[in-house]
Amino acid sequence: MTLNRDFLTAVVFLLLTVGMYVATYSLPEPMFNQLASWTWPRTILVPLGLLSVVMLIQSQKSDQPAATLGGFLAWAKENVNPFLCFGLFFLFLLTLPTLGMLLGGLAYVFLTLCVLGGWQPRQMAVHAGISIVFVTGMWAIFSFALGVVLPEGTILRVY
Amino acid sequence: MFENLALAIPELFTLTNMMLMMVGTTAGLLAGAIPGFTIAMAVVLVLPFTFTMTPVQGLATMIAVYVGGLSGGLMSGILTGIPGTPSSVATTFDGYPLARSGKPGLALGIGVWSSFFGGVFASIVLMLVAPQLARIGLEFQPVDYFSLVIFALTVTASLAGDQMVKGLMAGLVGLLVATVGSDVVFGQPRFTFGFDAMEQGFAFLPVLVGIFAFGRLLGDVKNREKAHQPLGGETHVVHIDYLGAMREVLRRWGNLLRSSAIGVFVGVLPAAGSTISNILAYDQAKKTSKEHEQFGKGAIDGIIAPEAANNATAGGALIVMMALGLPGDIMTAIMLGALLIHDVIPSPSFISDEPKIAYAIFLAFFVANFMMLALQSVTLRGFVLITRVKLYMLSAVILFYCAVGMFALNNVAWDMWTLFFFGIVGFFMRALGFPVVPLVLGVVLGRIAEARLSQVFARSDDIGVFLSRPWSLFFLLLACFSIVFPLYQKHRGTAPWTRFYVPILLVVMAWPVFQMPGSIRPVLAIGMVIGGLALAVINIKRGSAPQATE
Repeated sequence: MTLNRDFLTAVVFLLLTVGMYVATYSLPEPMFNQLASWTWPRTILVPLGLLSVVMLIQSQKSDQPAATLGGFLAWAKENVNPFLCFGLFFLFLLTLPTLGMLLGGLAYVFLTLCVLGGWQPRQMAVHAGISIVFVTGMWAIFSFALGVVLPEGTILRVY
Repeated sequence: MFENLALAIPELFTLTNMMLMMVGTTAGLLAGAIPGFTIAMAVVLVLPFTFTMTPVQGLATMIAVYVGGLSGGLMSGILTGIPGTPSSVATTFDGYPLARSGKPGLALGIGVWSSFFGGVFASIVLMLVAPQLARIGLEFQPVDYFSLVIFALTVTASLAGDQMVKGLMAGLVGLLVATVGSDVVFGQPRFTFGFDAMEQGFAFLPVLVGIFAFGRLLGDVKNREKAHQPLGGETHVVHIDYLGAMREVLRRWGNLLRSSAIGVFVGVLPAAGSTISNILAYDQAKKTSKEHEQFGKGAIDGIIAPEAANNATAGGALIVMMALGLPGDIMTAIMLGALLIHDVIPSPSFISDEPKIAYAIFLAFFVANFMMLALQSVTLRGFVLITRVKLYMLSAVILFYCAVGMFALNNVAWDMWTLFFFGIVGFFMRALGFPVVPLVLGVVLGRIAEARLSQVFARSDDIGVFLSRPWSLFFLLLACFSIVFPLYQKHRGTAPWTRFYVPILLVVMAWPVFQMPGSIRPVLAIGMVIGGLALAVINIKRGSAPQATE
């Protein structure tokens, strides 16, 4: 048996399928002879489970190499920028109730630009300029032209 | 039709609409020209701005972006050899060599005119066919709709080729995502796992943007070198030879018409968008051309075919969305979302119930092609400037913009969390080799499928209705054939059974067609049986692999 990438993915899908299938038992029974709340999810989960098994079998027939921690770390290193961006976006969402869309957006875009583009003084100045122009511009368009009340935060009261 | 057009003309031809469409076309042309920046992403970015517009304004703007994007790809494809979008990949095969041979203006002109004629051809087909298809759509009962959704998902998955299992799994995961929140019949919480916010479910636009745009943008900045690359290669402004190019294109009207027809046909098929049509049309043009040895060296037919086909595909995709209310690809899924935001629900009765909006959309598609023609020279200058921007700068700004746009959808922060979560899902699914289009379509079609299924069961418990209704049987049979299609494609010419795939398809599909009402379809069914049998006999006589018949 080869514990390759597809094998592990298929196992995750199988676990997801089983977990969701079990969760359908806590869904209420139908009233008035209508379609039960669990019918459609189970209709999806059964073929999904079967396909996961097919994928499991296919993974053993393929020549994909075994997954290793070293291989995963190399892949993670190769994709470090997306992970950093996800992390920054997560922080942006987390701090949104405090910073609001304007300050949070400025901080998020500036930090993302610097993380991806570099921290040299000249680069930082360019990144600050881009952040101010585009974030403030978009914020103004949405707030005043489109009438959307964006999250204000607790630091800077605008509306 | 002319009455409805007369109603729609004053609705569309207002100064505001024309200005919006011009801005949309320009934005689409620029977005389409930027390598790695897909048309879908451009349409997604325009979406939040349409929230405050009327349905006609919003849809006209989005259609303008769509049409512009389809044509924009030719600029970078011809001038730099890097296709702006996947829909202009085949354009580079001959466009770039022709430009390199000292005729960039002619190459661009041919691309522009081919796009224009392809688009106009598709607009006419759209106006003629969509109302007829909608009339057929009125025959559909919930069971037929449900089977159509199943067909759409299997076709989408089958396009994943060797990764068919992953494609089907992605489609099913999409359907599963759509079950989270509340059930369609009683509105009771489902799969919320104790989180109140999850009772709202996942709005499909943040899911779509998360999976598609978010994942894609982060893929573009994956490592430092890639992030620091400018958007396009080295290029400079050239003069487009409009007149000379038009003469060349019209001289090759056969190729133009055939490629446009291929484009429309591919557009009608679920999920088979312009990425496929441009290559298919190029291949057909090469096979039928008398100068096929010129292909790859700057053949004019090699530019006409992909450019006419990719613009015509948009018309095909719109036909299905307008007539049946079902999106066939990412672009029409976004447009469906835009219509739903405005409380306009496309369905077979949409064209007859809302002729003003429906025909305004048809007209907008027609007009957008003229705008594309006029604005191509102007945007070429903008394109040259934009190609100097670095990828990471664009990505950072767009990620923020996506967040603001998705918040504006329902004014809830939950949608931004949905965007974030599905950005991660999309990123990992791509990394693991799963196609994301079936996933997105699964999310969009999931609730439609469940609603239709509940309507089926509200009428009867008899599952046999899926096989006794002709349309339902038709789509389910097509779904079965589409599952086998990747195998057919892989073994065509080597395995003997592939000789009988198309004949069996024709004969089997004739059965539900024969059961359909009216006199035309039963006659068509008889024709399909005769055609299938004749093809089988021919293939047996040949005793070798069949020629491509589809």
